[in-house]
Amino acid sequence: MAGASEAITRVHAAEEHGHHPPYLQHHFVSAEQQFDAAKLGMWIFLATEILLFSGMFVAYAVYRVWHPEVFQAASKLLDWRLGGLNTLVLLASSYTVALAVHYAQLGNQKRLLQNLWLTIALAGVFMVVKYFEYTEKFHHHIFPGGNYAYEGLQLPYVGQFFSIYFVMTGIHGLHVLVGMGVLTWVALKARRGVFSSEYYTPVEISALYWHLVDIIWIFLFPLLYLIH
Amino acid sequence: MAHATHHHIIPKALLLKVFVTLVVLTVITALTGQADLGPFNFLHVPLAVGIAVIKATLVVLFFMGLKYDRPINALSFIIGLLMVGVFLAFTLLDMLYRGDIGNLERQPIRGPQIEQMASPTTAH
Repeated sequence: MAGASEAITRVHAAEEHGHHPPYLQHHFVSAEQQFDAAKLGMWIFLATEILLFSGMFVAYAVYRVWHPEVFQAASKLLDWRLGGLNTLVLLASSYTVALAVHYAQLGNQKRLLQNLWLTIALAGVFMVVKYFEYTEKFHHHIFPGGNYAYEGLQLPYVGQFFSIYFVMTGIHGLHVLVGMGVLTWVALKARRGVFSSEYYTPVEISALYWHLVDIIWIFLFPLLYLIH
Repeated sequence: MAHATHHHIIPKALLLKVFVTLVVLTVITALTGQADLGPFNFLHVPLAVGIAVIKATLVVLFFMGLKYDRPINALSFIIGLLMVGVFLAFTLLDMLYRGDIGNLERQPIRGPQIEQMASPTTAH
């Protein structure tokens, strides 16, 4: 009896020290398998995110083909400099989050944390610029759909452009806010020293999500702000 | 042994190069998007979308590291993109050519069988 329980304790100890690091969940064979499973799940989720946005991009294509002159005139009401600035801000944040993954892989805790906070700060800058853009539009009574009431540009169907503009940038902005939340959670974990070069899955996964938010904006910028 | 992970670490210099390229492409988009291309104004949309595709590809391959990743991840992502292509292509086909094929009056569907079934009552 005593010998059996002693053997079990020894097996447990061996598992904990030998094959079972604390972050490895019991239903995975190895840390590598756990990492690959998480990553595949994320890529499938990103594909569904693209499908979510594709509905809006298809709506955009249909309405633009129907009323190209309305899109051209309405697009002029958007400030391309602010849109361009936000593009650069998001690209920079993608770069910093890629650096965060790079430093996580090297086990550099300090640089990892710095780049995570920098990414969150850049996301904040994006939202602040977006806030100024939205309030400026609302100030001029530029609202989506039938609520559009800007005196400076009255055209049939012009509300449709702003329905598309507000829905697409709004849902994208929501993704930015969610990304800020997720990255903050990852940064707090990083500060507690949870991550190492062996285990950095949450850093990698949330970085993938953040890059997708960047990619969506890469398409939104020319399609909304730069219609000639 | 269980700790041995062999993930590809993308060099810092490469990440910086990709970032600089993305910024340059953004500037090109902003400039060409504003410019009057004269007889080539029809190129605005293909140019804007083309540059955006190049930028997105750079982000996916290097920032997201799909170039060095397992092919299964690329496969699941590409299937998603194909579905977007089907969605967009068929919606535009419908929208652009609706009504072009057979401008028919509304009438019930009639085939030889239906004619035969109907004929005994009408013939006599």
